[in-house]
Amino acid sequence: MRVGRMVELEADDPERLGELCEKLLANPLIENYEIEPIDAA
Amino acid sequence: MRWGVLQFPGSCDERDALHACSLLGEARLVWHEERDLAGIDAVVVPGGFSYGDYLRAGAIARFSPAMEAVAELAADGGPVLGICNGFQVLCEAGLLPGALLLNEDLRFHCRQLDLLAEDGATLSIPAKHGEGRYYAPDDVLDELEANGQVAYRYAPGQNPNGSARDIAGVRNEAGNVVGLMPHPEHAVDPLTGSTDGLRVFKEIAAAGVPI
Repeated sequence: MRVGRMVELEADDPERLGELCEKLLANPLIENYEIEPIDAA
Repeated sequence: MRWGVLQFPGSCDERDALHACSLLGEARLVWHEERDLAGIDAVVVPGGFSYGDYLRAGAIARFSPAMEAVAELAADGGPVLGICNGFQVLCEAGLLPGALLLNEDLRFHCRQLDLLAEDGATLSIPAKHGEGRYYAPDDVLDELEANGQVAYRYAPGQNPNGSARDIAGVRNEAGNVVGLMPHPEHAVDPLTGSTDGLRVFKEIAAAGVPI
């Protein structure tokens, strides 16, 4: 098991976050990811 | 043959790779922002820590302009050799199957070891990495073995990282893209104890289609 990372970012288009994870933030072959919306304060 | 050796911010083995290539032909460095590989027949993606590897080894480098050009060269049959971080970059770019995980014991290893080539020859080459455990799903591993895409394995008892099936290096289906974790560019001069690394460069040079 590898300890992962948490990335906080502001997204202009939240619909594309999955694509961002698939192509950059995670390597789907070896990593899982979850997207959790955070309400702006 | 004219070789290009990529250089990313954070690369650290490009000079040795350049030296190795210069023993076999002309060679020059290719800065990561270069998009034009005109005049280059073969490319080495060297070891190091491209862009710091902070996100994941090779994850950023795969998007560099130079790697876009490398993908085109590879698609045209040009020889591409990825060493250590370069292997990680090629996997991230999808030019090679699989991925490299943290070493099984979570420690960085640096030592001379024996690699087995496909023809059974033993090559004495140093390895130095903390993230070199080759991984691919079992069905992919079966396919790689069936297709002859396992280029190098660690000799029995010398797997330093827990790589699946002792795999140290793989090639793409066409055979013109090869990646391995050990460092053949550090084994090209008798002064450093072995010249077996030259064979790796010669093999990839011969694997490509003349462009």
